[in-house]
Amino acid sequence: MGFEVETLKFEGPLDLMLHLIHEQQLDIFDLDMAVLTEQYIDYLHAMEELHLEVESEYLVELATLIEYKSKKLLPRKEDELEDDYEDPKDKLVRRLLEYQKYKEVSHTLYDSFIERQDQLSKPVSFDEVIKHAHSEDSRIEGDPYDLLKAMNKVLRRLQLSRPLDIKFTQKELSPEDRILQIKARLKDLPETFSFETLIEDCDNLHEYVITFIAILDMAKDHYLTFTIDDSDNIWFRRGSNHD
Amino acid sequence: MIRAYETGREMTPGEKENWEKIKDIVKKVEVLHKENVAQPTNMEAIVEGLLYIVGEDGARVEQLAMAIDKSIEDTKTILENIQQKYAAETFGIELVGYGSVYKFITKKAVFPYAQELFGTSKPNTLSQAALETLAIIAYKQPITRVEIEELRGVSAEVMLRKLQARNLIREAGRSEAVGRPILYEVTEEFMDSFKLYTLNELPDLPEYSKEEENDNLFE
Repeated sequence: MGFEVETLKFEGPLDLMLHLIHEQQLDIFDLDMAVLTEQYIDYLHAMEELHLEVESEYLVELATLIEYKSKKLLPRKEDELEDDYEDPKDKLVRRLLEYQKYKEVSHTLYDSFIERQDQLSKPVSFDEVIKHAHSEDSRIEGDPYDLLKAMNKVLRRLQLSRPLDIKFTQKELSPEDRILQIKARLKDLPETFSFETLIEDCDNLHEYVITFIAILDMAKDHYLTFTIDDSDNIWFRRGSNHD
Repeated sequence: MIRAYETGREMTPGEKENWEKIKDIVKKVEVLHKENVAQPTNMEAIVEGLLYIVGEDGARVEQLAMAIDKSIEDTKTILENIQQKYAAETFGIELVGYGSVYKFITKKAVFPYAQELFGTSKPNTLSQAALETLAIIAYKQPITRVEIEELRGVSAEVMLRKLQARNLIREAGRSEAVGRPILYEVTEEFMDSFKLYTLNELPDLPEYSKEEENDNLFE
């Protein structure tokens, strides 16, 4: 059976199962475990074929599915039918429904979150007074995450305290723009040129990186070919696709 | 002389002249005073000023009540009055009390203009994984890591750390279960971020029943 791989991002095995149930139009209250298991395995295979790492959580749930399947094949012992015995299928359905609830409600919560993000307040006045009152040379208890929390606050304040009258933004160079720049320069460059030549017009790390990403794309599209010599210098020539 | 005026005794012509001068000065002072700022005469205005000072940190009813030496009930009434006043369309800010912490925030309609002013884009965002984890904690708190993982089917350790670092959740003691695992609950910061005065305001969780058509589940 063919399997279309969707490059959707799943939040975990339960999310994936809900997706498969929906896709296969299975009845969640009368779940066809065989179809679900088969689809689930197919999906994991597809992920592997794409060399995507299958996280261990997906394998744990796979084990649950397969355990169910194997148990179905074996004659069930009488003592398993006691009161507190829950059919693994019922348990899975219960978990799927429970997860679905929170997944659904999280969308509603997100709307409030986004709305609140647009409503700003100003930092506390009097900060100096408060700071002085608490400035003692004592050891501070806390783990690195506390530090991270404090740093977040500092950054937020810093952002708010920036002067209003200066309004210009640094537009970061995109790889696409950089490709156009490099293409424009190509005709003035010698037959063979080095990476150093290409980054002559760059003055910060960001632009170096963007240049590098740009040439990767250009090499992929056969605009450039490259070789790396013994002393790790990168050399370029115009590629077959160069017009 | 004032005493003379008050007692109703007939003023001498000299006193009368002085009295007129004084009345003149008082009038001028009054005008000057009005041209500057009239000082607040009621507690509503004082609380409004306090809320301006505390800014994003906000203040609890109890803190404000203590500062203005009024009862909690009176302070609540004052806050409600301010809230009503600022709800009018003539104000660009509003008073909110998410998680019982009162603070002034700008109204929604201001934001597009703020973007123009600052030239910024939206700041924080939350991943779907973070949202789901927060939702589970908010509805089921206090809750242990293992319970969250059971519900979502994925490891929650890193996510819990991240949410703690963002001050959206905190530890709330330990469970009586084996190993006494840490319990988690949401913070005032969470309440603020999701516009909730109390957790009772959380939307109802959807209920699914067999009678419904399966398709309704996914819309």
